Amino acid sequence: MRVKVAMALSAVAVWLCATQTARAEPYLAVQGGYECSTCHVNPTGGGLRNDFGLVYAQNVLPAQTIGGPDAVWGGKLTEFLRLGGDLRANWTRNEAPKSPSQQKFALDQVRLYGQISMIRDRLSLYVDEQVAPNSAQNLEAYVRYSDPAHGWYVKGGKFYLPFGWRLQDQTAFVREVTGISMTTPDQGVELGYETLRWSAQVAVTNGAANAQSGSGHQVTGQVVFVQPRWRVGLAASQTQADAGNRRVAGVFAGLRTGPIVWLGEADLVSDEGYPEGKRKLGSLLGEADWNLAKGHNLKLTAEYYEPDRNVGEDQQTRWSLLYEYTPIQFLELRAGYRRYRGIPQNDAQNRRLTFIELHGYF
Amino acid sequence: MQSASTGVRGVKLFNEYSSMRAAWCRFAPLGFLGASLGLAACAGKGTGLDANGRPLGSGGGVGGAITADFQSIQDNVFTPVCTVCHAGAGAPQGLRLDAANSFNLLVNVPSTEVPSLVRIRPGDPDNSYLIQKIEGHASVGAQMPFGGPPLAADVIAAIRQWVSDGAQPATAQAAPAVFKVLSTAPATDDLLIGSLPQVMLAFNQEVDAASVDQQSLRLERVAATGEAGSSELVLAKLSLPAPNPHALLLTPLSPLQPGHYRVLAHTAPGLELADINSRPLTLNSSGVGDDPVILEFDVAGDQ
Ligand code: HEC
Repeated sequence: MRVKVAMALSAVAVWLCATQTARAEPYLAVQGGYECSTCHVNPTGGGLRNDFGLVYAQNVLPAQTIGGPDAVWGGKLTEFLRLGGDLRANWTRNEAPKSPSQQKFALDQVRLYGQISMIRDRLSLYVDEQVAPNSAQNLEAYVRYSDPAHGWYVKGGKFYLPFGWRLQDQTAFVREVTGISMTTPDQGVELGYETLRWSAQVAVTNGAANAQSGSGHQVTGQVVFVQPRWRVGLAASQTQADAGNRRVAGVFAGLRTGPIVWLGEADLVSDEGYPEGKRKLGSLLGEADWNLAKGHNLKLTAEYYEPDRNVGEDQQTRWSLLYEYTPIQFLELRAGYRRYRGIPQNDAQNRRLTFIELHGYF
Repeated sequence: MQSASTGVRGVKLFNEYSSMRAAWCRFAPLGFLGASLGLAACAGKGTGLDANGRPLGSGGGVGGAITADFQSIQDNVFTPVCTVCHAGAGAPQGLRLDAANSFNLLVNVPSTEVPSLVRIRPGDPDNSYLIQKIEGHASVGAQMPFGGPPLAADVIAAIRQWVSDGAQPATAQAAPAVFKVLSTAPATDDLLIGSLPQVMLAFNQEVDAASVDQQSLRLERVAATGEAGSSELVLAKLSLPAPNPHALLLTPLSPLQPGHYRVLAHTAPGLELADINSRPLTLNSSGVGDDPVILEFDVAGDQ
C-alpha cells in the first residue's frame, strides 16, 4: 500500500504541474482502459451514455446498487430512441481578498440528451440541449453516419470540438486557455476513426472568432493511442480569422497505477488576436483520482497558467481538492475546494472557491 | 486463440509495468516533492506588472474604485476579469473584451447567442445582453464571469449606469489617441538633495526608437533669474532602456551642479519624439520659445 501511494505521488511528478478537473469522465475511461465511446454515444465523450455506460453507472460506480433490474432506468424508450440527462445543483462560496465572501445555492445546469437511430449502428441524429437555468440552449445537434466495419464516421451540425481531455470542469485552465470546452461548441463537420487502440478526429468549423461575420474557419484534430493501463494523445487546432490567426497544440496522457488514475495535459497557444499583436500562452494540468473504495473518489488537481510568455512573473496556479461520493446508482455528491493563486495585485486571481454539488443523471 | 494472445499481452504489459514501477519507486518521493514545491512557487510575483498582469506603462490597469465611465469599467472589470477568456481569436462568441476591441464589439453589436438583442443598447440596460449576462438572467448560457464569483452589486450598478447614461466611449477613445508623458522621475518641482544619476520619462505608448535623436530632448540649467536666454545646455545622453520601450533615460555626462533644471522637448519636424504608431509627442505644458517644458526640478548642494 505504501509503495502504491508513493508511486502515485511520484506520478504527480511525472505529470507535473497542474491539475484540474472534473467530474469524472476522463479518469473513468483511464481507470477502465476504455475509449470515451465505450460508455458514451458520442465518440469523443460527454453527454448521453450508451448501454455499457449505464451498466457501468449502475454496477461499478456506486457504493451500493439498490432496486431490482425492473426498478431502474434502462436508457431506451424504444429500440431506436435513447434519452439521457444530467442535473447539477450546487452551493458555492467564493472568497477573494478585499471583498466580502459570496455564497449561494444555484441550479447549475440541466441537460437533456436524445438520440434517434434511423438506421441501427449507421445513421443517427443526436441532440444535447441545456434546458435550465434560463431558457433552452442547444449545445450539440448533429447527424452522424458511421461505417462500423471500418471504424469511420462523419458527423455534421453543431458539436464540441475534439481537443484534449473533455473535463467536466469547464473552468480548468487548459479548457479556458485553449478556448475549447463544453461551453464552446462549434458548427461544421467532423471526421472520426475509432478502433480498439486508436481514436482520431478532425473537425472543420467556423471558429469562435468568426462567430458573427468573419470569413475564416477553424480546423481541430486529435489522435489518441489507448492502452489498457495508459493512453497518450496529441491535439492541434488552427483558426483563421480577421481577428488574427490562432494556433493551439496540446499533448495529454492518462495512466493507471493501482487505485490511482493520473491525468495530464499541456497546451501551448499562439494567438495574433491581441491588441499588441501576437501573444503566446500556455497551460498545464495534472490530476490524480484515487478510488478509495467503491463509490468514493478523491481528486487532487494542480494547474498552471502562463498568460503571456513574453511577460515575467504573471503566472497563475490553481489547486483543487475534491471528494466525489456516489452512494447509489445515478446519484453523485461532490464537495471541493479550489485555491487560485496569481499576482498579488489582482484579487480575482487569488480567490478561493468552496462548493458542494448534487449530481443526478440517467 | 483469442485468450492466448490476451495472455501473452498481459504478461508483456506486466513486465513493462514492473520495470516502470521500479523506476518510479526510486524517483517518486523526490519527484513529488520537487513538483509540488515547484508548482506552489509558480504563481507570478507580479513584479513590474499592473493589476492585469501586463507590464507597467502598457496602458490600463489603473484600478481604483469603479465609476460609471467606460475607462473605469474597462480597467476594473473587462481587462482584469473578462479577458482571461474574452481575448484573442479564441474569445467565446467572438466577443473580445480587451481595451482595444471591447467598445467596438459591444455597443449596438448583436449578441451571438441571442441575435435579437444587442450586447449594449445605449440608454437601455435591461435590453442590453451583456447586462443580462452579468446579472445572470440572460436567456442563454451561464452567468458571467463564467465559473467565477458574480460581479459585486456596486460594479454591476456602475456598468448599468454607464449604459443608462448613453454608453459613451472613454474620453481617450473619443479623441484620437495621443502619445504623451505619463510620469517622470524626478517629478516636477522636486527638490533633489545631492546629485542625480539620470532623469526618467515614462510614456503611455512605446517610443519609436528611430525617432530618438540626441536632440529630441534637452536638459537645461536655468540661471537664478529664470529669464529666457539665460539658460545653459547640460550635456546628457538619451537612451531607450531595452526591457521597457515605454521609457526614456536622460543621463547627464557629469554630475549636476546645484541649481534649477528643466527638460524640454524639441518640436522641430524631424527632431520630435514619436511613438511606434508615428504619433508625435503631445505636451500641454507652456513652452520656452517653441519648445514645451516637460519637467522642472531643483538640485540642492550636498550638505
Ligand atoms: C472562464 C471564461 C470566461 C470568463 C472569465 C468570462 N466569460 Fe463571458 N463567455 C464565456 C463563454 C464560454 C461564453 C459562451 C457560453 C455561455 O454564454 O455560457 C461567454 C459568453 C459571453 C457573452 C455572450 C456573447 C454573445 O455575443 O452572445 C457575454 C456578453 C459575455 N460572455 C460577457 C462576459 C463578461 C462581461 C465577462 C467579465 C465580467 C465575462 N464574459 C467573463 C466565457 C467566459
